[in-house]
Amino acid sequence: MRRAATAALLAFFISIPLWVANLYVLHVLIVTGIFTIAAMSLNLLLGYTGQLSLGHVAFFGIGAYVSSLASLGFSVHLAPDWLVTLGPQPVWLAMLWAIAISGFCGWAIGRISFKVRGAYFVIVTISFAEVVRLVALNWDELTNGPMALNNIPPLTVSIPGLIEFSFIGKVANYYLVLAAAIVAYVVIARLVHSQAGRAMIALKENEPLAMSVGIEVTRYLVLSAVVSAAIAGMAGALYAQYIQIVDPNIFLFIYTVTMVIMVVVGGKGTLAGPIVGGLIFGLLPEGLRSLQIQPELQWVAYGVMMILIVSIVPRGIVPALAHVWNDRVRAKAGPAEASEAGARQAAQ
Amino acid sequence: MEEFFQHCVNAFMLGGIYALLGIGLTLIFGIMRVVNFTHGELYSFGAYMMFALVMLLHVNFFLALPLAMALGVALGAAIEFTLLRKLRGADIDTTMLVMIGAWIAMQNLEQFAWSGVAKSVKTPFPATPLVLGGLSVAWSRLFVFAVAIVLIGGTYTLVDRTRLGRAMRATFQDSDAAKLMGVDIDRVYLSTFALGSGLAAAAGALLGPIFVVSPGMGDLAALKAFAVVILGGLGSIAGATIGGFLLAFIEEMGAGYVSSGYRDAMGFLLIILVLVVRPTGLFSRKERIG
Amino acid sequence: MQRNFLKAMLCAAGTLALASSALAAEAVKIGVTQPLTGAFAADGNYVAQGAKLAAEAINKAGGVDGKQIQLIIEDNKSNPTEAAATAERLIVEDKVPVMMGAWGSSLTLAVMPKLEEYKVPMVVETSSSGKITTSGNPYIFRISPTSEMEAKAFAPLVKTMGIKKADFLATNDDFGKGSMQEFTKMLKAQGVTIGASETMGEDATDLSAQLAKIKASGGDTIFVTTDVKQLTLILKQAKDQQVTARIITTGGSVSPDQLIEQAGDAANGSYHLVFFTPWFPDAVKNPEAAKVFMDAWKGAKLDVGGLTEGFRGWDGIHTIAAAIKDAGGKTDSASITKALWGVHVKGVNGDIAFIKQGPAGRESGQSVPSVYLVKIDGGKVVKE
Repeated sequence: MRRAATAALLAFFISIPLWVANLYVLHVLIVTGIFTIAAMSLNLLLGYTGQLSLGHVAFFGIGAYVSSLASLGFSVHLAPDWLVTLGPQPVWLAMLWAIAISGFCGWAIGRISFKVRGAYFVIVTISFAEVVRLVALNWDELTNGPMALNNIPPLTVSIPGLIEFSFIGKVANYYLVLAAAIVAYVVIARLVHSQAGRAMIALKENEPLAMSVGIEVTRYLVLSAVVSAAIAGMAGALYAQYIQIVDPNIFLFIYTVTMVIMVVVGGKGTLAGPIVGGLIFGLLPEGLRSLQIQPELQWVAYGVMMILIVSIVPRGIVPALAHVWNDRVRAKAGPAEASEAGARQAAQ
Repeated sequence: MEEFFQHCVNAFMLGGIYALLGIGLTLIFGIMRVVNFTHGELYSFGAYMMFALVMLLHVNFFLALPLAMALGVALGAAIEFTLLRKLRGADIDTTMLVMIGAWIAMQNLEQFAWSGVAKSVKTPFPATPLVLGGLSVAWSRLFVFAVAIVLIGGTYTLVDRTRLGRAMRATFQDSDAAKLMGVDIDRVYLSTFALGSGLAAAAGALLGPIFVVSPGMGDLAALKAFAVVILGGLGSIAGATIGGFLLAFIEEMGAGYVSSGYRDAMGFLLIILVLVVRPTGLFSRKERIG
Repeated sequence: MQRNFLKAMLCAAGTLALASSALAAEAVKIGVTQPLTGAFAADGNYVAQGAKLAAEAINKAGGVDGKQIQLIIEDNKSNPTEAAATAERLIVEDKVPVMMGAWGSSLTLAVMPKLEEYKVPMVVETSSSGKITTSGNPYIFRISPTSEMEAKAFAPLVKTMGIKKADFLATNDDFGKGSMQEFTKMLKAQGVTIGASETMGEDATDLSAQLAKIKASGGDTIFVTTDVKQLTLILKQAKDQQVTARIITTGGSVSPDQLIEQAGDAANGSYHLVFFTPWFPDAVKNPEAAKVFMDAWKGAKLDVGGLTEGFRGWDGIHTIAAAIKDAGGKTDSASITKALWGVHVKGVNGDIAFIKQGPAGRESGQSVPSVYLVKIDGGKVVKE
């Protein structure tokens, strides 16, 4: 049942460019997709491992900048008479660098979080994102500061002699982002359902208990941070090569907040949650735009929505819906099937 | 030498403001264990109230200041009553996310109400600064420093010498024990949040006329407040005061002699450094984990 | 009876729908992207207001060739990425054949790749960076002066003002840095020593560190390049520190009236390079055009301080309207682009006509506007 539903959903998403002719709608879907990938990665840290990282946009932005700088090439003075130059690299290589460096930053954050927990970890992560933003803003020689990095080349895959394909245009990028989203989903699902994943959940539920049972808390914390950051970095690199312009505002706290809203409202700690949340908060602003509602009022609504959802349905939309659905199933079925359904729900 | 003096003057003024922000936040953070994301919004609220009172309603500047602070106290009390009271006992994530939601709603309401164009508030001080020898100090900055010191002193007296203050300190040490001893926790929480918010609003009301009033001004202020809290240690007014001045001096000297672009980064780098090297803060003795 | 009534209503509704769609089909859309929020909100809003007044005036006079013009105004939030996004929205979703924008030089530079991608022309009304018209983008038509033009216009005054050593304070974006570059070149060519060259963030409110350094450098003149919001703060803080050097602002987006109102006494003694002098309307190149604009502005009860910025939007829309008229019945991007090359408009800031600038074969259009220097003295704007 679930597999059929997933397959149908996938087919639906794959078919979209075939019957949606409006380029702008495709554009919105692409950007929504990219932020949904970032939300999925945040969910790994926030929802599954229970770490309140509110600097997530730093990984996204670092991925974007590394990918852009590597594909554009740069030349910077690391010391008054020490000039470091890098020629433009192929975009696929630049994106790999982005993933690697973001992952490394995730490792660093993971290590710090071992020493510093709860609310203080929150503050450290926010500070980290702010520092990165200020560096991007002020180190003009490297990042162009507020003048932005422009004309970022799109991703090109080439097998010498056989094919050369550049992801230019909306349709190509739509499929690129869809493919990346599927890859990210699979990676996260694999991780969550593995032994490492179970350890992370144990860590979130009751850390001292987990430690007492012998689970290596640090190792799994760091692992989830690395994977989470790497995926966010990939999303950032995709963003950079699609939008083709990157400026320090990409590190603004409001983007972390957007991702947090997507995860929390959709359902943290579930695989489908960030996707649902991502689609809602990616498409809603554009849908509301035609109604001429001022953007500030939209954001007020999001704020209020978040308060309501967190207070009333703290686990988010997806778990709430799943709950309702399972209740229905249980009501219709007999006791034996009901307990089976209940067991399945508990295993999620 | 003159340049150095100018930086010192600036640092003293900013230090007072950072101390006000930090004290408010450390009380809320320490006593209520709430990561108050709306702190920055109270700051900008105070500034906007000054604008409304002085420029739109033509209230006397020196009267508008305590009015703006009172409005901040009222808003803080309202937030505590409507939002936080329901969340008593919820885990820290939930509370934090609710505060983030409130922060988004407040900031965008502010932008909707006042538009994104920055506003200026006229001060009654002469444009010509006070000149001592070869050094000059702007009257407005002197005033801000003086008022900040008064407010800090007042807060310290409130927490150290009054019954309410004693209740607050007891709650900070052990809220369960305090409850058992008959402390009215509801009243303590309400007062703490209202007081902290009032101090933030006062900081905004003081600083707004010196620079400009814009919707996003609270974001950076809130982050600096967090830096001060971490520097000074949780729940310590003295720590927050010293932390506030310390941050201001580091920022000012850094901006003057190293790079003005990175001035805001100093605070954050400091936080990261302190948390990684000496997690309990420079002055506090309490344990930090959790 | 009821059926006839129903039929009549349906007919009326149908006609109304047809009529409104016909009307809509008659409107020519112009996309406008301006910073309505963020660091440049003050100036961006003035430009947008000027544009709206121009559209109203043109429509009231019968529109362009019988067609009404419809402005679609987007907020680029003073941010380059957002500027590119607004251009994408206006062109792809709203299908505008022509644009005006994007105020700041970094914002305009961010929009330029979109113009090339979709082949849509844009009238640049404020940006001053030389790069905009020399990058080989044939869809750019600028009516504002470049920093180079400004510097050249100022050059003869260097000797008369007795400038020996100059310092700079500018925003760290294309606008500020570009101006700093051009003026430095011009001053050096006249033998002036350059002291401190300080930059500031677009959002920075505390400039005391930079001012302290500039004061220590000991120059006699400070060239400041930023918008009116930061300028107010700079003037006040310079007074706080008793900076005695004379301040000359460049870029034209300084709204001297607003400075007088908000900086008070601190504004006295400062000089400003502006591109429209509403205080001396008879001294401008086209006094009648200036009068029409000023009457419309005051009639709409808008802030008088915005006249020196709002005219840019006014002139920009009039330029586009003239091009649409010259293009005959066609309202597609290619026809408008072609028509822009031949416009002659009596703008509030001088005569607007485009000369070719940039690499051969891919030239951009640049007009040659007027530059004026004014001074604030005793709370008033005086001629210099």
